[in-house]
Amino acid sequence: MDHLLPAEILEADRAFPEALAACADLDALLRLKGAYVGREGSHAARLMDLLKAAPKEQKRDLGAAINGLKQGWEEGLTARQTELEAAKKRLNALASSWDPALPPPVPARGALHPLNRLMDRLVEVFRPLGFHVEEGPEVETEAHNFDGLNIPEDHPAKASSDTFYLAAHPELLLRTHTSPVQVRTLLRVAPDLHRLGGIRFLAPGRVYRKDEIDPTHSPMFHQVEGMLVGHGIGMQHLKGTLEYALRALFGPHTEIRLRPSYFPFVEPGCEVDVSCPLCDAQGCRVCKGSGWVEILGAGLLHPNVLRHAGIDPEEWSGWAFGMGVERMAMMLSQTPDLRLFFENDQRFLRAMGGLD
Amino acid sequence: MWIERKALAAEIPAAAALDTRQLCELLAALGFPVDGVASREGGDVLDVDITANRGDAMSHRGMAREVAAKLGQPLTPLAPPPVAEGAPKVPVRLESPACPLYATALLTLNPGLGGGGTPVEAQAFLRALDASAKGLPAVDASNELLHRYGHPTHAFDADRIRGAVTVRWAVAGEKLVTLDGVTRTLLAQDLVIADEAGPIALAGVMGGDGTKVTEATRRVLLESAWFDPKTVRATARRHSLHTDASHRFGRGADPAMAAVARDLLVDRLRTWAGATLEGAWTAGALPAPAAPVTLSEAMLVRVAGEPLTLAEAAEALTRLGCAVVAGSDALAAQPPTWRHDLAIPDDLAEEVLRLRGYEHIPSVLPPLEGPPQRLSPDYLLRRALARRLAHLGFHQTVTYGFISPEADAAFAAPGNAPEGRTLANPLGREYSVLRGTLLSSLKEAAEQNLRQGTREVRLFEVAPTYSSGPAGPEERFTLGLAWGGTQGGEDYLSPARPVREADLRGIAQDLGLAVIPEVRGLGEGLFGFEAPVADLPRPGERIVSTFRPFSRFPSVERDLSLLVDLGQSYGALATAMRAALPADALQDLRCVDVFRHKSLPEGRQAWLIRLRFQVDRTLMGSEVDGWVASALAAAEALGAKLRT
Ligand SMILES: [Zn+2]
Repeated sequence: MDHLLPAEILEADRAFPEALAACADLDALLRLKGAYVGREGSHAARLMDLLKAAPKEQKRDLGAAINGLKQGWEEGLTARQTELEAAKKRLNALASSWDPALPPPVPARGALHPLNRLMDRLVEVFRPLGFHVEEGPEVETEAHNFDGLNIPEDHPAKASSDTFYLAAHPELLLRTHTSPVQVRTLLRVAPDLHRLGGIRFLAPGRVYRKDEIDPTHSPMFHQVEGMLVGHGIGMQHLKGTLEYALRALFGPHTEIRLRPSYFPFVEPGCEVDVSCPLCDAQGCRVCKGSGWVEILGAGLLHPNVLRHAGIDPEEWSGWAFGMGVERMAMMLSQTPDLRLFFENDQRFLRAMGGLD
Repeated sequence: MWIERKALAAEIPAAAALDTRQLCELLAALGFPVDGVASREGGDVLDVDITANRGDAMSHRGMAREVAAKLGQPLTPLAPPPVAEGAPKVPVRLESPACPLYATALLTLNPGLGGGGTPVEAQAFLRALDASAKGLPAVDASNELLHRYGHPTHAFDADRIRGAVTVRWAVAGEKLVTLDGVTRTLLAQDLVIADEAGPIALAGVMGGDGTKVTEATRRVLLESAWFDPKTVRATARRHSLHTDASHRFGRGADPAMAAVARDLLVDRLRTWAGATLEGAWTAGALPAPAAPVTLSEAMLVRVAGEPLTLAEAAEALTRLGCAVVAGSDALAAQPPTWRHDLAIPDDLAEEVLRLRGYEHIPSVLPPLEGPPQRLSPDYLLRRALARRLAHLGFHQTVTYGFISPEADAAFAAPGNAPEGRTLANPLGREYSVLRGTLLSSLKEAAEQNLRQGTREVRLFEVAPTYSSGPAGPEERFTLGLAWGGTQGGEDYLSPARPVREADLRGIAQDLGLAVIPEVRGLGEGLFGFEAPVADLPRPGERIVSTFRPFSRFPSVERDLSLLVDLGQSYGALATAMRAALPADALQDLRCVDVFRHKSLPEGRQAWLIRLRFQVDRTLMGSEVDGWVASALAAAEALGAKLRT
């Protein structure tokens, strides 16, 4: 019997559910109601006029069709009205207590640990130079932790007074530095070194040494290892990289200073100082008045370290550095006690680590 | 090591022109940072840090050699009145290659004749170095020589030595009472000085109590030898006996100094104690010198980063005591007898740079030879996880990887035996097991925060946990999370309520964990869960996913308020209702409100279930009514009733 109804009415009926859903508030619903079932000018009013004017024999069918339409519209409108009224009630309840002068609700805020933030930052600083991140296990073999790094068999660091060993596996220990990641990575990439064009990476991570817990010692701490292997690498490349990185970290006016030192896995070896970032090298408590702070140890890779990984030191050369994360964090933050970093007091974490 | 400025200047007169600060800077630039300066009666004394490879620098003379090389100024000649050697007064036999050279002398002490004992200057020198004088000239002179010239010597009471002196390996089980009064049981790897009755000294480490010099001593036998560094290090470590002598022999003493130190000691005993030389002699010979080391110009330039010439290198190495033969593209350097650390070309290159000053090294960024590598997905995943949780209001913790067996057992998986993860030498029982769980550490940190008065504690850690495996502890990164206290109530629009287990399940679900982990009660109002980081969804390789069409037609929501039993399982109800609904039309089904009140029938509660439907066309009210009726029927089959 749809043929009895005008096309625009049928179109309006098809559009009704969507129009209904689109009503966001009671006013909109009232307008829709007026348009469909209002007393005057509505679709329903037009249909009533149509019915009045219809020939007698069509009145019955047409009436049924019109009633069907009107009923559908009215039911829809009533249901939507109930929904909107409930929503309005909820809003009203809120609005009654809402006060623009009071501080607004702020989402809860957590924090990254300051040590992790510092390590993340170091990675970001080295990324533009093409460094990626390598990682290794914290439970290491004696071979990777010591032997592969040219550390003599009778080195005191190997003693059980300095290094934690596993009871059931005497050859396993808790790594005492992140340097075994050098050994693992070199062993892995050695066959591919030409294709890769050398390698450069950072290795951040936790390390363990048998120190009693006190304000400046912890049996667990963090290091960031850096390593680069390429052709013709010399001390100038170590200095250039560290100068770039430490300036990115501490500010463009930072100066660095290399001093000769000794680590078994590098030759030449050096300690690296930065101009004190806290006093602008004018001398303060942190730099003990010298204007310089020791920040890391570094050097050119000892040929034995390359040889151990099957890399020819006649062709390849490189450098490595190792940096104590806690030491740097304590220096930058002037935190008086190392233990604070492991107590995990939320106030400390929020103030020191934060999130940005 | 303590270095007295005055005594240093006695060895290198040019150093007297430097003030203390300049001297400290010069030493630091040479690789000997000064940790502190003390003012003593004879002037400033520097606490110099000497690296383990530089045994040769562990004396005033050694330090003076470095300063002299740097300044290009001469050392004070070291020329004791020569002692004429003769036939041995006591036979000395060297039975081990660990002692190739043993210089000695026999003297009679005549305290009545001219000798006034240890001179006050020598006593003051020793005091300035925190080494007290004993008032026994033979002992004090030996000690003074060690600090001044670096070569350890020893004096025995000659009348208490029986028969010949032998340097030999100990017989396992042999005993020796050392000067510190401790009885040492020796191993076959310990090198000893022995007389016919048994050991009288641990070679290069410490003398024996039975032959020590006392006030009653009338004749002394001097020892100025050279011992193998490795042997001395091993013995010192085995017996936990780290002495001035073992530090120096253990790092490599200068064999050429053995005879010189003996002569210096004889000279001091003559002048300090009126001693008469009975005889001086040497057993063995200088060990063969190390082979010359070759340094090519190419390597020098590569390491230095600038075009240094072989001539410059030869000059620097000569100043350091090397005998250098320069060729056209390489030089050969014979290290001096005191430098055992110069063994490879890299060592020579370092010496050239060191003497020149590291401040001259140019600063150059290394060229990129290959494409940079990506950050690993695992690393990125962990980093993103930490940031995400921090944004969700959680604080990242860092806790120790080892915990007590009890703390481990509280939360570690039952099958994960702690024996395979236990340390042989822990700091204590509470740090003895590599943890199989993060929850104990988080619980401790969380409870500490709550005790401090924190209203709400939200912590997480991403760290390895361990499970015992046949080849050792297996390590995997784990996420642990703890949440407790009172949530909300910090502003006037968010009501306060206790943190509930469900809150943690919500986090686990939000993180997209493949398996929702069990939420554990950690304490009063404190909950936690942990899950392997590997269970987190990996970000896809595709930067932008493939387009999948979605309906643009409006969705229809219907709420059903159901009366259900208090013990009703939500999971069962939801599953039954879902099963009664067309899967392609049902977008969501969730409980949005729970109402419990005495106005409800006994043992019943009301759940407000919200259904959302959407299909690829406009939904008819009547078909949605039909679906809702089916869902209601399914709920009613489980005992639910529509609340009116
Ligand atoms: Zn400062």
